[in-house]
Amino acid sequence: MQRKYTILSILLVVLALGLVILPKKTNKTETDPKVLLSALAEKSRFLTTDLVSKRIIENDPTLLLIDLRPADQFKAFALPGAINIQPESILSDSNSELLKQLGKDIVLYANSDLASEKAWLLCARYVNYSRLYIMKGGLNEWYNTIVMGTDVAATASSAEFDLVNFRKAARQYFTGAGQTTEKTATEKTPVKITVVRKAPKSSSGGGC
Amino acid sequence: MKTIKNDGSFYLNPYLGGVLLGVVLMLSFYLSGRGLGASGAVKNTVAATVNTVAPKHVENSAYYSQFAGGDKKPLNNWLIYEVLGVLAGALFSGILFNRLNFKVEHSPKITSRRRLIFALAGGLVFGFGSQLARGCTSGAALSGMAVLSLGGYITMVAIFGTAFVVAWILRKNWI
Amino acid sequence: MIGPLIQSGFIPQAWDNIIAVFLGAAFGFALESSGFSSSRKIIGTFFGYDFVVVKVFFTAAITASIGLLYLDYLGLVNFSLLYIQPTFMTSAIVGGIIMGIGFSMGGFCPGTSLCAAAIGRIDGMVFFGGMFIGVFLFSESFPFWEKMYYSGSQGPKMINDALGISAQLFTLFLVIVAVGMFYGAAWVQRKVKKVEY
Repeated sequence: MQRKYTILSILLVVLALGLVILPKKTNKTETDPKVLLSALAEKSRFLTTDLVSKRIIENDPTLLLIDLRPADQFKAFALPGAINIQPESILSDSNSELLKQLGKDIVLYANSDLASEKAWLLCARYVNYSRLYIMKGGLNEWYNTIVMGTDVAATASSAEFDLVNFRKAARQYFTGAGQTTEKTATEKTPVKITVVRKAPKSSSGGGC
Repeated sequence: MKTIKNDGSFYLNPYLGGVLLGVVLMLSFYLSGRGLGASGAVKNTVAATVNTVAPKHVENSAYYSQFAGGDKKPLNNWLIYEVLGVLAGALFSGILFNRLNFKVEHSPKITSRRRLIFALAGGLVFGFGSQLARGCTSGAALSGMAVLSLGGYITMVAIFGTAFVVAWILRKNWI
Repeated sequence: MIGPLIQSGFIPQAWDNIIAVFLGAAFGFALESSGFSSSRKIIGTFFGYDFVVVKVFFTAAITASIGLLYLDYLGLVNFSLLYIQPTFMTSAIVGGIIMGIGFSMGGFCPGTSLCAAAIGRIDGMVFFGGMFIGVFLFSESFPFWEKMYYSGSQGPKMINDALGISAQLFTLFLVIVAVGMFYGAAWVQRKVKKVEY
């Protein structure tokens, strides 16, 4: 009886010792170009400005906005809660720590898509592809859709009406403008925007 | 190999049981990316109940609103399904090893009534603590230890350390 | 097949809850068959007549740790996708102390009380019922605890980072400590008067 346990104990210690002795894996493994290419072709990494606005308004705790524009532009205006990171320094230690945060959907944006696309490629090795997004069209698009807003033709579908109503409500949220009766209208017909979220919120269960 | 007495007194070798539990825990992380738990299911059930009775209250509460209210479905949760599985698995084991019967297990020196009162109070205190520590022995301590979480180890030491002291204070209840 | 399989999309999300039932069943079976459905067996750890809790608990923890680290080494699991309990220092300690008191009073922890309830132990059912009241009381009085609940936040911190050693080295120490504890437990059990239960 005792002998059996001695053997088992030794086995356990040897297994654990094996872990210590095994050579350390290098952290920065080369990413397979094919994988990267197929990830690039995947369009789900784009989030629409409407979706991002909706999540900002809802105070979604899993949203992490990263502003890639120069600091002076960031100071002048940024989306609420965004963090300003320069594209050059996005791979620095403290920033990659930020990217590795669990349970966050990281959304990159700049003025257009160009800087975000570059940064997306650089970050892709640190962050799970399915949690790394680009706000489609950047702040220009955001300005056009949310701040400017568009009127809709009377023949438009109800989905389009909902969208326009949502944008009006969002505009009011972000700029404080356009306080009319639209708000009550949006409350009556809640906007249904399907949230495309590939990875589940690992933070959801909350432990035990 | 000696034959197993099937009178309900047979238990697995604790080390075999431990390895089995460890493998299940590892599989849980490998498949679902999370550890096992129990108290989270209680939390969600309570939140769901309160949500049905007083939805306004849930909206206003800083705690409930984290996981109930709005379009959140606290009952359609991984942990709830897992806990249903636990019941089924334990029942299966109970049938297999012939331990299935209704009784109050207590030390011969105390009455059933005293045992049940202490069980109720213990459950109440445990439930309270598990919310504060964000998990119980399985969710916070065991699953936390498996992924080497600092919080898991601290919770484990705090639970067992305190339980040791309190067990001696309450030893008349047990031995 | 890089795990966790659900998060990385190898298994469709819809399977998550079905897998949960099976994992739970295996969990329940392991607990019950090791004797965690008996409060007197569990509490024996603290009086030295039955160390089943220590044995099962630590064997499980080191098996899972070693297993996960090997899977990580083989590149089969993406550690960053695993749910690591965030560390909140104050609430972990205070909550742990409160749970310790409940543990010794009730003789169960939530998972084991479920197992006991499943095989008809009335004390297990009562304990589980008590938990609902406890959770309810906590939730209702949450504003009172809110500050403590969020204080001492350190994020999902790993213990080996806190100690400044590698995860592998920490696991080795853990295994050595655990094996030492198993032998210690066997020694104490020989010394202590046997309690019939």
